Amino acid sequence: MFQYWLIWPAVLVILLIGLFPILYTLMVSFQNINMLEEDRSFSGFMHYAALFRDLRLWQALGHTLIFTCIALPLELLLGLAMALLFVDRMPGRQVFVALLVLPTVISPIIAGATWRLLFDNRFGPINQILGWLTGEPQAVLWLVNPNFVYPAILLAEIWQWTPFMFLLLLAGLANVDPSQLEAAEIDGAGWWRTFFQIVLPAIRPVLAIALLIRGLDLFRLFDVVWALTKGGPGTMTETISIYAYVQGFQQFETSYTAAIAVLIIVLLSILVVAALKRMEIAR
Amino acid sequence: MISRRAVNGGLAVLAALALAGPAFAQSAADKAVEAAKQYSGTTITIVWEAGLQSLDPLNFSGPKWKELTGIDVKVVEVPTAEMFTKILQEHRAGTGAYDALNVIPSWMSDLARAGALEPLDAYVDKYGYRDELQEIAPVYRDNQMKVGDTIYGFPDDGDVFVFYYRKDILEENGLKVPTTWAEFAETAQKLTDKYAPEMYGAAFFRDAPYAQFMFQERFRVEGGKFFDPETMKATVNSEAGVKAFTEMRAENKFMPPGVETWGFVENLAAFLAGDTAMTLSWPPYGRWAAGYGTDQEALNWVPKSTVAGKVGYALPPGGHPQLAAGFSLSVSASSKNKEAAYLFIQWLNSKDISLQRVQLPYALRDPFRASHFESAEYKSRWPEAPEYLSALQQGAVSGLLDLSLIQTDKYEEALRQGISRLWAGEDPKAILDDVAAQWDAVTEKVGVEEQKAAYADWAGKPNAYPSK
Repeated sequence: MFQYWLIWPAVLVILLIGLFPILYTLMVSFQNINMLEEDRSFSGFMHYAALFRDLRLWQALGHTLIFTCIALPLELLLGLAMALLFVDRMPGRQVFVALLVLPTVISPIIAGATWRLLFDNRFGPINQILGWLTGEPQAVLWLVNPNFVYPAILLAEIWQWTPFMFLLLLAGLANVDPSQLEAAEIDGAGWWRTFFQIVLPAIRPVLAIALLIRGLDLFRLFDVVWALTKGGPGTMTETISIYAYVQGFQQFETSYTAAIAVLIIVLLSILVVAALKRMEIAR
Repeated sequence: MISRRAVNGGLAVLAALALAGPAFAQSAADKAVEAAKQYSGTTITIVWEAGLQSLDPLNFSGPKWKELTGIDVKVVEVPTAEMFTKILQEHRAGTGAYDALNVIPSWMSDLARAGALEPLDAYVDKYGYRDELQEIAPVYRDNQMKVGDTIYGFPDDGDVFVFYYRKDILEENGLKVPTTWAEFAETAQKLTDKYAPEMYGAAFFRDAPYAQFMFQERFRVEGGKFFDPETMKATVNSEAGVKAFTEMRAENKFMPPGVETWGFVENLAAFLAGDTAMTLSWPPYGRWAAGYGTDQEALNWVPKSTVAGKVGYALPPGGHPQLAAGFSLSVSASSKNKEAAYLFIQWLNSKDISLQRVQLPYALRDPFRASHFESAEYKSRWPEAPEYLSALQQGAVSGLLDLSLIQTDKYEEALRQGISRLWAGEDPKAILDDVAAQWDAVTEKVGVEEQKAAYADWAGKPNAYPSK
């Protein structure tokens, strides 16, 4: 029994910070709490039924998927390319790696605010550079024009988080067995064949973890979009996290927001379990 | 014949009146200070808008109050967009962390309904503040102080949109100050055609949170009504709404490129730099354009005005400026120092102290009392100050109230989204149909009858819609 007494403080902490908020959120989602009123009555599945009728919620989910489906492969490919470039020892490698990783240490909201300045149509350097290239002043409304707003957000997002992929994949590549690479070279295997048949299988677990972490991050995407567009124009770039924030902290729909949170938890749990199974790293 | 006893009695009454005289003449500020001395050594916490606004209690009123009463003032700075949330969250948590509050008047009914604001009538009577309250300009006093018949806040900021124009440029081109939106468009287009890109005919802040105030104003100037009072169906998508939206977008063509993203500062910088000939904004633009107080450290971010002495002040085209936002001073219902908090806001809002506060160049509080508009001291602050105060005073007569209902922000949120879609190029009618549908959904959720009563209360105020 003694060993169980030793672990109970840790179990208690996990229950308090992990399970309790989830259970409490679940409970709130079945109530009728709105910060503007005192009502705490039981509302059954009312908020869950409302979720299915809420077009804006499903649009926000769609926007989140668009960001995830575009940013995740691009970050992966760019991160992998950079990692392959830096895997071999070269002069100044450590300095370059440190510089490349800098964007990930910046707070995303600060990164978003900085990109907002870069995209400024009047004083922003991006339009200025475009002006130099085209030979006439450019006033592209990056954060207003529906044609540019997604590329602008994706650019900021990919700029910030590709280095994270790079770092993980660099670590993965560094652990590829050099004797296998050497053997392949001796056997006359080309670069692509070596990559697909030796390197890629070797870094697959790292790749899977990197994809999972970034996929989850992208599903929770908030800061950069909030700083750049606040989900606009209209609700065109509103992600599920922004929608939940607006409902909870601007519209004060506490119980409805709890129902959204439960929906997100369920969706993410399904995705994570499926991904882990597929990647065979759950074991 | 008058008896000696009667004479003695009369003299005694006169003597008593003479002694009581100074007490009767005591100002509301003095009364507040005298009463507050019993709380010396305590601290009161006040929520104030972050940034320049809060320099008033930090640099001026807070230290002065401490000196007079011994009460410390702790200022909690909160960005405007978060003030409502913070106040409500604190109230729900019941921590008593805030004693006094700055409340945007259109939120007052929501906060009062939620029980977050302390009714002030009893305090007002106890500390003899009714007479001085009456001296607040009627548009603020009658519309931004009460919910139902109960006082929940003291109007403390004469926020109103003022039209600023370059007198020299209009004169040079033989143009009149536009009094209708059609004249405005014509004048601005002419100036843009002649001077752009060095100078554009006009610019406004177009960022949705600001532009929604402009829409509210123009929609009503065009004869629009927000709701059908019988059914509470939204009528924001009426012809007036579509006209206002269509014109607002068309105006962007004679404004500087990218004006769709401009906020308060971008628009200010352009006007002070002489890049635009006409604009519309809150009163501080007028003071800073004249260079009033801009040499102070707190205002070192304000671009140096290149247009001082050349700026005229007028009511916006249509003649009914939006009384956009504004602030009232309230006491938190969960405060543990309600009496001291009340005395502080009475003192701040009093005739004597508020006159000093509205003249602080950095604090953004704008004149809101008859005595402010007529103050000889204020009129002497810069050569055009009398003209400036006159424009503010006119605005305080014909100004239009922000829409205020139950859960107002949900209606404003739909409008803000609509405006950002407008700048993105969507069809004005389609956008407004969506906005109206969202408004109807909010009304349904709040309760049609309940909202109908709230709207009737708001629409019944003299400055809800332009007088015919």
